[in-house]
Amino acid sequence: MIEVSRLVKSYRDLKAVNDVTFKVEKGEILGFLGPNGAGKTTTMRMITGVLPPTSGSVRVAGFDVFEHPMEVKRRIGYLPETPPVYTDMTVRAYLRFVAEIKGVARNRRESEVERVAAKTNCDKFVRRVIGNLSKGQRQRVGLAQALLNDPDVLILDEPTVGLDPAQIIEVRELIKSLAGKHTIILSTHILPEVVATCQRVLMIAQGKIVADDTLAGLQKAHAGAVTADGQMGPAPSLEEIFLKLTSA
Amino acid sequence: MKNAIAIAKKELNIYFATPIAYVMFTLFVVIGSYFFLRLLGAYEQASLMYMRFNAQEMVNRLNFQDAIFRNLFGNLGVILIFIIPFLTMRLVAEEKRQKTIELLYTSPVTSNEIVIGKYLAALFILFCALALTVTYPVLVQLVAKDPNGVEWRSVLLGYLGLFLMGAAYLAIGLFISALTENQMIAAIGTFVVLLMSWIIGWTASEAEGWVREVVTYLASVSHLDSFSKGTLELKDVVYFLSLVALGLFLSNRAVEAHRWS
Repeated sequence: MIEVSRLVKSYRDLKAVNDVTFKVEKGEILGFLGPNGAGKTTTMRMITGVLPPTSGSVRVAGFDVFEHPMEVKRRIGYLPETPPVYTDMTVRAYLRFVAEIKGVARNRRESEVERVAAKTNCDKFVRRVIGNLSKGQRQRVGLAQALLNDPDVLILDEPTVGLDPAQIIEVRELIKSLAGKHTIILSTHILPEVVATCQRVLMIAQGKIVADDTLAGLQKAHAGAVTADGQMGPAPSLEEIFLKLTSA
Repeated sequence: MKNAIAIAKKELNIYFATPIAYVMFTLFVVIGSYFFLRLLGAYEQASLMYMRFNAQEMVNRLNFQDAIFRNLFGNLGVILIFIIPFLTMRLVAEEKRQKTIELLYTSPVTSNEIVIGKYLAALFILFCALALTVTYPVLVQLVAKDPNGVEWRSVLLGYLGLFLMGAAYLAIGLFISALTENQMIAAIGTFVVLLMSWIIGWTASEAEGWVREVVTYLASVSHLDSFSKGTLELKDVVYFLSLVALGLFLSNRAVEAHRWS
């Protein structure tokens, strides 16, 4: 569904993303991990077409992001780092607007807004002005916006930032429930989130991919290296693998 | 076009959800009324004086268009210079600062639709502000004893001139807003450019030859005045419409440049 090949983004001498290649199959949830400043957001922005890559290509559902941007944008729901909400609008007016520019037909618009608001638990404050909402509520409005028009691909940049523990669990459940039908890339540096939601893990450090495997596969690959006496040690936690790979 | 209208509706939603539109209307009408009342007072004085000296010739020559509306439209034009920067400053700059522009960039919307949508919303506000001031000629018509009353054709031409000039100013303001993330810079930059386009006309009186011709053509005041007099000339329409086209084209370039940076 998503094919990223040899993606590079450089800012003068700094290579924010350096030769990144990976694939995400339809219906998969990919956990995109890495320390702050590793290039997660930059990569995601290139996939959504906000940022042009220096070199390399991205294909979504077979369409090149650069050559057929409209086809790609029709299929992607994107939640950036800061939820892109207009603070002067009410939640309902905002969601209606996003539905409209995403091409939801007029007669379906109202029910589509209701649907995503209910799904993200925004329905209790749809009449309120976004500027008066808490950070967690805004985050949920941002998530609701990404779900509008039921896109095939969801790109979520740290979707649980600013939520309280109960809401984090809700959002994780929501993301899990979307698996299968939607292809999801989820960036985070909260490791338990990956364990809870993702089937596959992609780890990036200093712009380069350092691991691309299932969680079990990663644990297996790094199990032997943990103990010194040649015996298979206990399966390492994702934290240990993360620290080992990203500190290099 | 459907997307442009969606964006225009969103912008109008924000104009009316925030005080911007109301403050703009109030300012425009309060200052406009002040000028109108002064001009009306001057008209009254002049007509009383001519009648006292029995200057029938002068009384006959006195008419609403020259004595009131031509000056009024000139004054409203000056108010537009002060008000339009506040109307356009937010349009793109604020979207960049709040990062909401990423939503537009990741939606199936072209840069042209973004620019046109925002422009249409601002045009609508301008139209409403001008429509509020139609009360002045209506009032004059209601109290005028003169059987001919207000020359509506000339008045409407004056409004067309004001609208075209406002449209040109909005396009310039939109472009400057697309250059920055800072609303204040957008407002001040727009104000300086609009003010220059007005006061450049003053230097025309000092210049000679072709310089004078060029400067007179560049100054927006001379083009507005030809509408306010009640004349419709192609060169004035072309002047304002080409500014609109230039402003929108540059805005589109600025948005594209930001998108690919």
